[in-house]
Amino acid sequence: MVKFDKFSLDNGLKVIVHKDTTTTITSVNVLYNVGARDENSERTGFAHLFEHLMFEGSVNISSYDKALQLAGGENNAYTTNDLTNYYITLPKENLETAFWLESDRMLGLDFSEGKLAIQKNVVIEEFNQRYLNQPYGDVYLLLRPLVYKEHPYQWATIGKDISHIQNTNLQEVKDFFNKHYAPNNAILSVAGNVDLNEVKLLAEKWFGSIPERNVINRNLPKEPKQEKAKTLTVKRDVPYDAIYKAFHMSSRNSEDYYTCDLISDLLANGKSSRLYQNLIKDKKLFSEINAYITGSIDEGLFIVSGKLIHGVSMDDAEKAINLELDNISDLEISDYEMEKVKNKFESVYQFGQISVLNKASDLAFYELLGDANKINTEIKNYRNVSVENVKSVAENLFAKNNSSTLYYLSKK
Amino acid sequence: MTLNRKVEPEFKVVEKIDIPIPVKVFLNNGIETYIIKSGSQDVIKIELSFNAGSWFQEQVLVASCANEMLMEGTRELTSKQISEKLDFYGAFIHTQPTKDFGNVSLYTLRKYLSETIVLLKDILINPAYEQNELNTFLKKRKQNFQVDLGKVSTIARREFNEQLFGSEHPYGKKAELSDYSNVNRSDVVEFHKAHYHPGNCRIIISGKVNDSDIELLNKTLGDTNWKSNDQSGFTTLKISPVQNQERIIIKDRASQSAIRLGKQVINKDHPDYFNLDIVNTILGGYFGSRLMKTIREEKGYTYGINSVLVSLKNACYFVVLTEVNADVTKNAVSDILFEIKKLRTEKVGIKELELVKNYMLGHLLRSFDGVFEISSNIRNLIDLNLDVDFYNRMIKAIKNITPNDIMDIANKYLHEDSLVKTIVGKC
Repeated sequence: MVKFDKFSLDNGLKVIVHKDTTTTITSVNVLYNVGARDENSERTGFAHLFEHLMFEGSVNISSYDKALQLAGGENNAYTTNDLTNYYITLPKENLETAFWLESDRMLGLDFSEGKLAIQKNVVIEEFNQRYLNQPYGDVYLLLRPLVYKEHPYQWATIGKDISHIQNTNLQEVKDFFNKHYAPNNAILSVAGNVDLNEVKLLAEKWFGSIPERNVINRNLPKEPKQEKAKTLTVKRDVPYDAIYKAFHMSSRNSEDYYTCDLISDLLANGKSSRLYQNLIKDKKLFSEINAYITGSIDEGLFIVSGKLIHGVSMDDAEKAINLELDNISDLEISDYEMEKVKNKFESVYQFGQISVLNKASDLAFYELLGDANKINTEIKNYRNVSVENVKSVAENLFAKNNSSTLYYLSKK
Repeated sequence: MTLNRKVEPEFKVVEKIDIPIPVKVFLNNGIETYIIKSGSQDVIKIELSFNAGSWFQEQVLVASCANEMLMEGTRELTSKQISEKLDFYGAFIHTQPTKDFGNVSLYTLRKYLSETIVLLKDILINPAYEQNELNTFLKKRKQNFQVDLGKVSTIARREFNEQLFGSEHPYGKKAELSDYSNVNRSDVVEFHKAHYHPGNCRIIISGKVNDSDIELLNKTLGDTNWKSNDQSGFTTLKISPVQNQERIIIKDRASQSAIRLGKQVINKDHPDYFNLDIVNTILGGYFGSRLMKTIREEKGYTYGINSVLVSLKNACYFVVLTEVNADVTKNAVSDILFEIKKLRTEKVGIKELELVKNYMLGHLLRSFDGVFEISSNIRNLIDLNLDVDFYNRMIKAIKNITPNDIMDIANKYLHEDSLVKTIVGKC
């Protein structure tokens, strides 16, 4: 049970406080409700580029990192298709430094052409390092646009094309800030050995005077139901063939979400899972195989991916995957197997909540989903999934018309 | 009163860190065991580290097979049965072969400790190493290895280690594709027999541990039927001289070049080590480091650049690691060398030094947050035969170091001309 308190400032900033007396470290997490899904389709990768610019100095503080390091702190951030999250850990005595830093960059950034030019280069190198100069690195750049035709999940957070980053200008950066970076579009959460009243005072002191901004409610196109199976074949300079199958699944707040997650666990969580035992160990078709969900807030993806053992035909490999997927809805699933995947979820969840960093970011994320207290009801949601749920969800999920398949072939 | 946002709120510098001293006991069969009781969650970690790294192997890959295949079946249980049980209890056993050690760790909910520790014991004592499991394992590993070889960073790491230690040295020797076909089951079995026994390992148990858990540990892993044997051999070192100072491997289609610059330096037990660690931090050991500032934030050549001190049991080395845009490879190398030279020719400013000191102390505090973090830190010390006072000495060194000390250390250990260079990509 993660106990917490919650309050809001007049400008709309939501604040969550979790007290953990066992630690000397405090985590301060600021989540902005803006991600790659909010980007203009001609400026993809922008939310992530913007995340980089958030470290380039704010109106009153020339170096965010220096100031934080001086107070013994560390920080990082990440951008997903749904959100941008910034987090700090620092000694508990220096909590106020985090409030000073985060409030100043919420107030305004110190934009400049020079800083933008440098961060464009850094992001382009990130693109090179993670997506281009890696075997199989471009898979999600290929898969997302194959699966999504309308919804902005069709591009990855790094962007569709690096020219979008190259062509960005300073005015667009400023507009993006004013549109999305606002107290009324953010959630601040603090976890550590902190006092609720102290956090209230600090929040009011540092964030209270930041004006509410005009944040327009997002109105994203809904992805239409996929009518027929889609495929894409590419050849690349990689040693082995690989296959990626993606299926449209429910949104994060749907009950089916938990069912889909457990289906992915039945298939591929741990070495006793079905795909691992049947396709790697018994049939020896794959060297690696996985099933996972993207966990997106809007309707997400259920992905099955595998690297083929040298000499195995793509046809045999795909048939074997399809059989395993069909078996979920067609054959019996024992209570034991259901219990196993639920136990495992519960255990991973408990291990995940040891650190204040994770607790702070989870609380902010669940608040974004509608209620921070979901952190305490997740296990029950998974426990409530029945075999019948699994079978009926799997039947629709794995329908042939709902699939998009990427055949990623070795040139050799 | 208006708020002054220009001035940083008052902060405190970390003065001391409460490092729990582990309780040391010996199990009935003699295993040296450290107990760290802490934490609020009902979870337990049991770590075993055997002196069974690749250092001790005669044939490449044998040590890692012996370690990682512990999970692939015992005389009683198939690999599937082992995984079924672990997954059912939501527990994890991680095997991790390193150059020096064969590590095996169990993470479990406390309420299932009695079920999961029995499994841990079984895989440690009775691995089957079946031939067909070995074949599947090697085939998979070989494919993954081949995928890794497509990365400039992997190639650079392999070449760099070889340049640093020599091709026959256990820290420098590279596995090749053909080695995956040359592993004999009998060698793996022999390696296990020689190295995985009570006299050749240490245990750290951490988490919400109570006395009954220690009793359980003693009944299982402390079983006197699990006996030590004294055959643990020692590979004689075949030191081959470092072949060349600079190695460039051209990959025409690479969009980035991997760069590694480094050298062997003093070990963690040397009195200068802490100061060298501080010098390394200034150079490339944190996000605000000089290398990050120059190569990433001023030039935009890379997504990231670091320098680290890597401590092995029998050596320690310094290395700068980065992937840079292939077109600027040469510039990046000379900029890195320039930053290293600057450490020994120009005094570091008081402000920068203060920042690094505060950062390092905060980082140290953070690294002791959480019982499993504490146990990892303590294990690193035990592995290198260092005592817990190491961290107190480190705090003292951080507080005391001066700009002059930094120049001295840089001159003594990090002359830019003494570095081995590896470049994979374009040049």
